[in-house]
Amino acid sequence: MGSSAAQVTTGGATLAGATEPLLMLRDIDKSFGITRALSRASFDIFPGEVVGLVGPNGAGKSTLIKLVTGVLEPTAGTIRVQGREVQQISHREVAQIGISCAYQDLSLCTNLAIYENFALLNMNHAPWAPVGWRKAKMSEADALLERFFPGNQIDVAKPVSALTLAERQMVEICKALMNENLGLLILDEPTSALSANRADQLHRAVREISQTGVAVVYISHKLDEIQKICHRIVLLKNGTNAGEFDPRQISSDDLVSVMGGEVRVRDRSGTQTAAGPALVSASKLNGSGLKDVSVEINSGEIVGVSGLVGSGQTTLLKTIFAARNGRRSSLRVNGRVAYVSGDRAGEGVFPLWSILDNILVSSMRTVNRFGLLSQARSRDVAQHWFDRLRFRAEGVDSPITSLSGGNQQKALIARGLASGADILLLNDPTAGVDIETKQEIYTLLAEAKAAGKAVVLHSTEDVEMEICDRVYVMREGHVTEELAGDDVTVQNVVRASFAEVERSDHVEKERSSRLAGLFQSRLLLPIAAMLIIYVLNAIVNPNILSLGSTRLLLNTAVPLVFAALGQMFIVTAGDIDMGNGYSIGLANVVVAVLLSQNVWVGVVSLLLLIGAYAAMGALIHLRRLPAIVVTLGAQFIWLGVALILAPVPGGASPKWLSRFYSSGVLYVPMPAVLCVVAAVVTWFIVFRWKYGMVLRGIGNNPDAIERSGWSYIVGKMVNYALAGLMVVLAGLFFTAVTYAADVNTSATFCMMSIATVIVGGCEMAGGVVEPIGVVAAGIAMSLITSLLIFVQVDSNLQLAVTGLIIILVLAARVVTRRRAVVA
Amino acid sequence: MKRAAGFVQRHPAIWPILGCVLFFLLIGGLTGSLDPTVVFTAARLATFAALLGLAQMIVVTSGDGAIDLSQVYVLTLCAYASTTLMDASPVLGFLAAVLIGGFAGLVNGVINVYLRIPAMVATLATGYLYFSLILVGSSHMKVLPQPDFVALVTGSVGPVSTQTILVLVVAVALAVVLYRTSYGKQLHAVGQNRTAAFLAGIPTGRVVITAFVTGGLLSGLAGVIAAAVMGGAFQDMGMAYFLPSIAATFVGGTAASGGRSSVLGVSFGALMMTLMSSFLNTAENMFDLVSGIKQLIMGAFLVLILFVSVAGTKKHRRSRAGAPATLKASIGD
Repeated sequence: MGSSAAQVTTGGATLAGATEPLLMLRDIDKSFGITRALSRASFDIFPGEVVGLVGPNGAGKSTLIKLVTGVLEPTAGTIRVQGREVQQISHREVAQIGISCAYQDLSLCTNLAIYENFALLNMNHAPWAPVGWRKAKMSEADALLERFFPGNQIDVAKPVSALTLAERQMVEICKALMNENLGLLILDEPTSALSANRADQLHRAVREISQTGVAVVYISHKLDEIQKICHRIVLLKNGTNAGEFDPRQISSDDLVSVMGGEVRVRDRSGTQTAAGPALVSASKLNGSGLKDVSVEINSGEIVGVSGLVGSGQTTLLKTIFAARNGRRSSLRVNGRVAYVSGDRAGEGVFPLWSILDNILVSSMRTVNRFGLLSQARSRDVAQHWFDRLRFRAEGVDSPITSLSGGNQQKALIARGLASGADILLLNDPTAGVDIETKQEIYTLLAEAKAAGKAVVLHSTEDVEMEICDRVYVMREGHVTEELAGDDVTVQNVVRASFAEVERSDHVEKERSSRLAGLFQSRLLLPIAAMLIIYVLNAIVNPNILSLGSTRLLLNTAVPLVFAALGQMFIVTAGDIDMGNGYSIGLANVVVAVLLSQNVWVGVVSLLLLIGAYAAMGALIHLRRLPAIVVTLGAQFIWLGVALILAPVPGGASPKWLSRFYSSGVLYVPMPAVLCVVAAVVTWFIVFRWKYGMVLRGIGNNPDAIERSGWSYIVGKMVNYALAGLMVVLAGLFFTAVTYAADVNTSATFCMMSIATVIVGGCEMAGGVVEPIGVVAAGIAMSLITSLLIFVQVDSNLQLAVTGLIIILVLAARVVTRRRAVVA
Repeated sequence: MKRAAGFVQRHPAIWPILGCVLFFLLIGGLTGSLDPTVVFTAARLATFAALLGLAQMIVVTSGDGAIDLSQVYVLTLCAYASTTLMDASPVLGFLAAVLIGGFAGLVNGVINVYLRIPAMVATLATGYLYFSLILVGSSHMKVLPQPDFVALVTGSVGPVSTQTILVLVVAVALAVVLYRTSYGKQLHAVGQNRTAAFLAGIPTGRVVITAFVTGGLLSGLAGVIAAAVMGGAFQDMGMAYFLPSIAATFVGGTAASGGRSSVLGVSFGALMMTLMSSFLNTAENMFDLVSGIKQLIMGAFLVLILFVSVAGTKKHRRSRAGAPATLKASIGD
C-alpha cells in the first residue's frame, strides 16, 4: 500500500507537469467590506493529486473553498477552469468538473432519512420518479456507505437525527463522494468526529479515488493525517500563500513551526503541583448512557476524559454541570462549575452580542451595583480578559461573530474563567481551532490549574490528553481505564479506547427500541385520542354508532381537517399561518357567492387565492420576514376582500357541492371518505412523493437543500400553495356544512388548526410532520365538541375543556416521548 | 450607504418612528392641517397596544418561538377583576387585578417550561381557559369601573394623557430592566440560544417564566386601565388589540426568533399602528369607502411596513460560521 501511494505521488507529479491544472486560481483577492479574507492568494489543483490545505484559523481556507465551490465570487484575480478563464466558478463549472465538498458544518437535513439526503443530490428534478425509486435509492445508499466505510452498520432508512456525530460525518463524506462525475473532492476537517480506524478507511478511500484521477483537497488541523495522505501541502496564512511543501520532506513539527505555533503540546513536567481536595466525586453513576461511572476530580489538576467519540464523555461533563445545584448521592460537586463547549455555534456563543457581553454573561454578579450592571466595571473586566487572551479583534465591542472560530473559543474560555468557577469543564474546546490558539488554550488551562481550579478536559484529539495529569478513558458509557502520570500517552489512550470493543447488548438495544418505537410513534397520540373520544361519545350516546350519526359527527370535522392540513404544510416549512381563519372565510365567501353563481369565476378566484398563498411564501422567503406577522397582516387582506365580496352574510352552497357532500361510497358517508382520502393523499405528498423530501427538507436545513441543487424558494412556494389548496378545500366543505357565506364564522379555525397540528404530532420548528396524525387529531378535536354537547357541559366551558385537553394531550406526549434533554 | 444600513440595523426603532411621521403627514394631508393634538390623541389610544406590545416583546425575546396568545384574554379577565375588586377597595383591588394577570402569566410559563409544551400552543390552550372563566364568571361580576380611578386615568397633564404618562413610566422601567440589569442580559441570552444560556449557568427556566409573568402583569395592567377608560368590562374587549399589539411588537424590531428587543421601537410601533387606524378612519369617513377596503389597506400596509423594516435583519441559524459571519460583521461596522 505504501509503495503504491508513493507511486501515485510521482504519478501525480508527472501528471502535474504534463496536463493542465483542473483549477487554477491566481492572485485572488476577496474582501468582505473592510475585512480582507484573501489577498493575492493562488491555488492550483491538478487531476489525481491530494492537496493538503493547512493554515491557522482565519487564514482564509474556508473563503478559498467557498470560491472553489462557487459560493463566493472573487473580488479580484483570475480563475481558470481546465484552462478556460472564468469570472467566477458558477454552478455550471461545479457540475461540469464535478466539484463536491464535505462541509465542516454538516450539510444534511437531519429530519430526512439518510438515503433521502443522498437522493436529493443525485436525482433529477423532474416532479415524478418511477415506482420503487425509494427502494433503489436505499440499496444504493447502503452500498455507498459500505464501500467507503465497511462494517458501519448504519441503517439508511433512519433519519440523520438518530445518528451519532461520527456516523453523520461518514454520511456527509459519502454524500460528497457520490457525485457520479466527481472530479474534485473537498474534505473540510473530515475526521473531526471519526475514530482512528474510520479515519483510516477514509484515507484509503481518498487514495483510491485519487488514483482514478480525481483531485482531492484535504483540509485538516491534524497534521499527521495531512502528511500521511497528501502529495503536496499548501500553507495559507493571513489570506495569502505562505509556502508549499512536500510532505515527505517536512516533519510535522516543522510544519507546525512554519504555521506560527509552538511545537507540540505543552510539556507536562515541571508543573506537577500537588492535587488539592476532591471537588467532583462520582461513584457508580448511572443514567442517560452512563454506566457505573466513578470518577474523582481534585482541585489543582487537569483531568482528561477520552475515548472514541460518543462513548459518554459529553454526557459525563453535562451530568457534572447539571449536578451543580442539586445533590445526588452518586455525584457530589463542591464548588461553582463552568462549562466551555467546543460546539461554539450550537451551545456557546450568543451571536447577537459583542465580545464583552459574551465574556460577561456568566459573571454579571461581579459587575452588579445596586441591582444595575455597572458599565465601567463591565468594560474593565472584559478588557482585562481581552488583553490577557490576546484576541485578534478590534476591541471588546466587536461582534462575536466577527471573530474566527479559535478566537470565539477563547471568548468562551474567558467566560468560564471570568465566572470564577472552581471547576472548569471543557468539551472539545479545540475543535477546529488553529495550532497557535490551541497553545494559548493549553497555557490558560495550565494557569487555571496553578490557580487551584479543577479542570476537566474532553477532547477528540488524543494527543491533547498529554497535557492532563490523569485521564479517564470511556467506552460505551463505562470508564474502562484511568491513566495517570507517565502512563498518559497517546498510545495508551488509544489502546484503552478500543478496550472490549464488541459487546453483546446490541440485540437487546434493538428489541427495546422496537417497543419504544411504538410508544414514541407520533401517530400513537392523535389516533389514541381520536379512538378514546369516539368511544366516550359512543358510551354517552350509543346512537352515534349508526351511519347517519357518524356522518353528522364527521360533517363538522372535515373543514377542520383541511384547515389543519393547510396549517401543516406551512408548519412543514418552519412557519405558521396566523391568518387561515379568514382565508378559509374568504374561500367560504368565494364558494357561496361566486362559485355558486358562475363556476368559472369561482374556480379562477379560488386559484388566485392559492396563488396568493404561494406569493406570500415567496415574500416571506425573499425578505426573510417572520411568517407569523406576515400571515397576521394577510388576514386583514383576506377579511377585506371577503367583506367587499359579501358585506353581509349570504350566498348559498352550490347544489352540486351539497349533493356531493351528502353522498357516500358504498355506505361510507362522504365526510369519512374525504378524511381518509385527505390523509392518504397528504401522506403521499409528504412522505412518498419525490418532491416531498424538498418540502420537508427546507423546514430543517434550507442550506442543505440549496447545496443539493434544489431551489429553496420554489420549495417554500409549493408548501404555501399546498397550504392554499387546503384552505380552499376547507372553505369549500365549510360551505357545504354551513350552506352560506359568513367570513366571521370561520375565524376560530386559526387557533383550532394550530392546536390540531400539534396534537397531530408535528413539530412547530418545521420539517417534522405527520399528515395522518393531523387528520386523526382533527377528527378528535371536533369529536370533543360533540362529546361536550352530549354530556351537556355548559357551552361556556367547552373552550376551557378544549384547552385542558390540549394541555393534557401534549403533557402526555412529553411523558411518552421523553428525550434525553439535559437542558 | 453601508453605514446608514448599519445604523438602521442597530436602531430598529427608526422604522416605526418614520411610520409615525408618515401617518401624521397623511392625516394632515386629509384634514388640511397638521394638528399636534392628533399625536396626543393617538398616543392615548395607543396605550393598550403599547402595553400589550411591550408585554409580547418580553415573551418573544425569551426565544424558542415563544409567543403569548392568551394576552387579550388576560386583559379581559383582569378588566373584570378590576371592576369587581376595586369596588371593594380601590388600591388593593387594583393591585389584585394586576396580580391576577401576573398569575395567568405564571401559569403560561410553568406549562411552557415544565410540561415542555410550545409556548404558542400552551398560551392558546390557557387562553381558552381564561376566556371560559370570563364567560362563566362575567355574569356574576360587576362591570362598571371605580369612578375615582376613571377620573384619574382619563385625566391629563397639559395635552398629555395620564395613560400616556403611565406607558412612558412602564417603558422606561422596562428599558432599565432589559438593558441595565442582569435579568435583562439573561433574558436576551436565553432568547438567542437556550442551550448556550443553560451552559453559561443561567437559570433558563426561571428566566423564561419571569418573562411570562412580566408579560402577564403588563397585560393585567392594560386590562385594568381598559376597563376604566371604556366605562366597564365586556367579554370581547381584548380582541381589538390583538393585531395592533402583535404588529407593534414585530414592527418595533423584536426578533421573532428571540434575543433582540427594542422598548423604544415597540412603543413607537404601537403609536404608528394607532395613527394608521386614525388615518384609515378619517379616510373612510371622508371618502365613504366600501366596507372591507379599510381592512384591505391595513393588512397590505402592515405587510409593507414589515417588508421595509424587518427585511435585511439576518436570520441566524445554529450552524453558521465563516464567511457569512464576516459579512455580518462588515455590515455592522
